[in-house]
Amino acid sequence: MAVKHFEAEVRREPKGAVLDLRGEINGFAQGTLDAAYAEAEKENPGAILLNFEGVDYINSTGIALIVGLLARARATKRDLSAYGLSEHYVEIFNITRLSDFMGVFPDEESALYGTVVK
Amino acid sequence: MTESIPPKDEKQPRDAAFWAQRVERLEVSDVPDGASNVNVHGRREVGALQGFGQLWQKTYRVRLAGVEVTPGETVRVWKERFPELQPQNSRFYPSMAGVAPGEVLFISATVGGMPVHTGVRVIYADDESFTVMTPEGHPESGWNTFSAHADEDGTTVAQIQSLARANDPIYEIGFRVVGATEQERLWMHVLKSLSANFGVNEPVSLEKTCVDPKVQWSQIRNVWHNAGARSMVYTMMAPLRWRRARSRR
Repeated sequence: MAVKHFEAEVRREPKGAVLDLRGEINGFAQGTLDAAYAEAEKENPGAILLNFEGVDYINSTGIALIVGLLARARATKRDLSAYGLSEHYVEIFNITRLSDFMGVFPDEESALYGTVVK
Repeated sequence: MTESIPPKDEKQPRDAAFWAQRVERLEVSDVPDGASNVNVHGRREVGALQGFGQLWQKTYRVRLAGVEVTPGETVRVWKERFPELQPQNSRFYPSMAGVAPGEVLFISATVGGMPVHTGVRVIYADDESFTVMTPEGHPESGWNTFSAHADEDGTTVAQIQSLARANDPIYEIGFRVVGATEQERLWMHVLKSLSANFGVNEPVSLEKTCVDPKVQWSQIRNVWHNAGARSMVYTMMAPLRWRRARSRR
C-alpha cells in the first residue's frame, strides 16, 4: 500500500490559531488532524484557520474529516476558515457544499482579516 | 461564502479525475427501467451541513478474513454489484455508466410499507473507495463512503462510513423512532452480502458518533422536498396518470 503522509502544525497568531496542513488528507490523516485541532483549541481562540497550501491530495474521506472539524467549530461557536486551496480544491469545497458554511480565502492575510474574532 | 478563487494555478492534483463535476441541480436524461425520477431531477445536492437533524457519523466494517482479495478488487466488485447487494426493500438503479463520478443512482425503497423514490449522486470514486451524496428530499442529508483497506495483518476490511443528518423534521422523528435502526440494518446487510460474495461470514461492526447533537431549525423548510411525502402523492396519482396516458392514445 502507498504511504499516506500527512502533517499538521499549530501556529498562534493574534487573531486566531492557524493549522498548517501538509501532505494527503485521507482516512489516515484523522488522528493527526484531530490532535492538531485539539491543540489549536487549547487557548480558546475565536477563530481557527486551516492552511491548505501544503496539501496535494484530498479524497472524500478527507472532506468528511474537515466536515467533522467544522461541526466541532460550530458546536463551540468558533469560526473555522480555509485558505491556500488550489482552484481544484475550491471546486471540491463547492461540490460538497462545505463552502456554504466555511469561509474560503486566497491567503492567510485575507483569512485573518476576513475572520471575525469573537 | 467563498471569498474568491485563490491565484494558485499548479497542475491538477492526482485526485482530480476521481471527483464529479459540480452541478447546480441534478439533471437526468436516461432513467433506468424500474426507477423513478420523481424526486431526483432538478434537486440540489445536500451535504452533512445542510440537513435538519442531529449529525451522525456511522462506520460499519467487516473483515474479509481467510480470503486473498485486495482492497481494489473488493471495491471493483462492490461497484459492479452494488444493486444486488441491497436488501429487497431498497432497490438501487445505477445508470449505464455504473458507479462513476457524476453518475446518479436511483433508489426505490419501502419504508414502513410506503414507497420512497429518491437517488444519490456519485461525487467521488477511485480504485479503493466511492462516495455518494444525497439530493434534497432524500431522508438523509450527507454522504456515504464505501471503501476497502488492508488492516495491520494485511486482511482486507470493507467499510461504509456515513456522515449525515436527517433532511427534515419528519425524517428526524422517523430516524429517532425506528429509522436509524432500519438504516443500520440496511448497511449491515450490504456488508454481509459483500462478504458473502467472497465466501466470508464475519460479523459486521458498527461505531457511531453524534458529531453535532443540535438540530438546525434554519433548515425546517427542507420538508417541502420530502421524498417520502412526494412519493406517496406520486403513487396515489398513478391511476390518474394512467388514465390520462390512455386518453392521449
